[in-house]
Amino acid sequence: MNDDELITALRKQRGTVVMTTPVQQIISRGRTVRNRRRAPAAAGCLAAAAVVAFTVGVALPGSHPAARGPAASHPAGPTSVRLAAWTVTRQAGGNIKVSFRELADPAALQRTLRADGVPVSVTFTGRQNPACQPYSLPAGQSFWPYGPKPGPVSALGLGFRFTKPNLKNAYTTPPDELPALVISPSALPSGAGLEIFTLGNQGLQVMLVHVSPQCTGSSGS
Amino acid sequence: MRPPSLDFAEFYREVKDDCLLAVVVSTGERDTAQDLVAEAFARAWASWPSVSRHPAPAAWVVRTALNAGVSRWRRRRREVAVPDLALIADRPAGGEAAGGCVDPGIMAALLRLPERQRQVVALRLFLDLDTERTARVLGIAPGTVQAHLGRAMASLRGELIPACQEENQA
Repeated sequence: MNDDELITALRKQRGTVVMTTPVQQIISRGRTVRNRRRAPAAAGCLAAAAVVAFTVGVALPGSHPAARGPAASHPAGPTSVRLAAWTVTRQAGGNIKVSFRELADPAALQRTLRADGVPVSVTFTGRQNPACQPYSLPAGQSFWPYGPKPGPVSALGLGFRFTKPNLKNAYTTPPDELPALVISPSALPSGAGLEIFTLGNQGLQVMLVHVSPQCTGSSGS
Repeated sequence: MRPPSLDFAEFYREVKDDCLLAVVVSTGERDTAQDLVAEAFARAWASWPSVSRHPAPAAWVVRTALNAGVSRWRRRRREVAVPDLALIADRPAGGEAAGGCVDPGIMAALLRLPERQRQVVALRLFLDLDTERTARVLGIAPGTVQAHLGRAMASLRGELIPACQEENQA
């Protein structure tokens, strides 16, 4: 078999695999994608219109009504609208989703998550909180939701390498979704909390730590 | 270059199967590939005014599908299994998702190639992209494309010739 015969044999495979999805279904999904892309611009306009009376943090695109952002720490001026750095949303089933636009306002994020019942330390200084002690899971348990037992944390649309303060990078996909963490407080092992931090230039990190007043603001139960 | 007025439905009808084959070969996962290609076409529709002016819209779709596959893999990397050649290459012809008859020997040989070589073969031979355009789509140098294609062809010859000889002897 020479190269031409090989290429012919390979090209004969064309048409042997058939895409069965109807074009109407593709277009329907395309409309959803397009509408989702337009949503941030629309929400931005709404926020701009309301900026005299309200700060911006709660007028986030795609935010659940229960979503909160660091509004108080980001009062928007009349000529510049700044979307909240992050949004915390309580989901059905008790999970808490943190969507990130920017790694900013760690103290406000920490307060918000603690108020939602997550024992957590949040720092975006490039170093870990020295008061936090790593928590080792018993055998058979998982931190991330991939192992034999679902873990308390999952990451959406990010490889945990986005750098402060710009979240745009190759790992954040699809482009119309924000990178996010989904935390399941009820899945946290007893005595364990979370440390969310940046480490050098490696972007955001999350690890399990022992709860303590100095680290997670609460004592172990 | 395609005309700006290219109709999406027509474009979809023309290239959907080649795009799917390219992604199947590139990813080694047939059902996943169908989802990825459908999502890529949906994104193409959402950005059709610009995608239709792309010098190679089909390559745009394949690249988008492959990117989506990488993203999906990153999200689920701990649960991704090695592609099962038997499930892909030996699927009965005319299956619902397949709709055609894949040569299991050729497909298995393709899937044994390294990923980058598979991508080059898919773009060069199934989408008819030239070396320059293949290089741009994959983000590698044209010389690298040629090297990958050369190695892929050599490997495929080595795999397929014995198979042909066995068939001829039988």
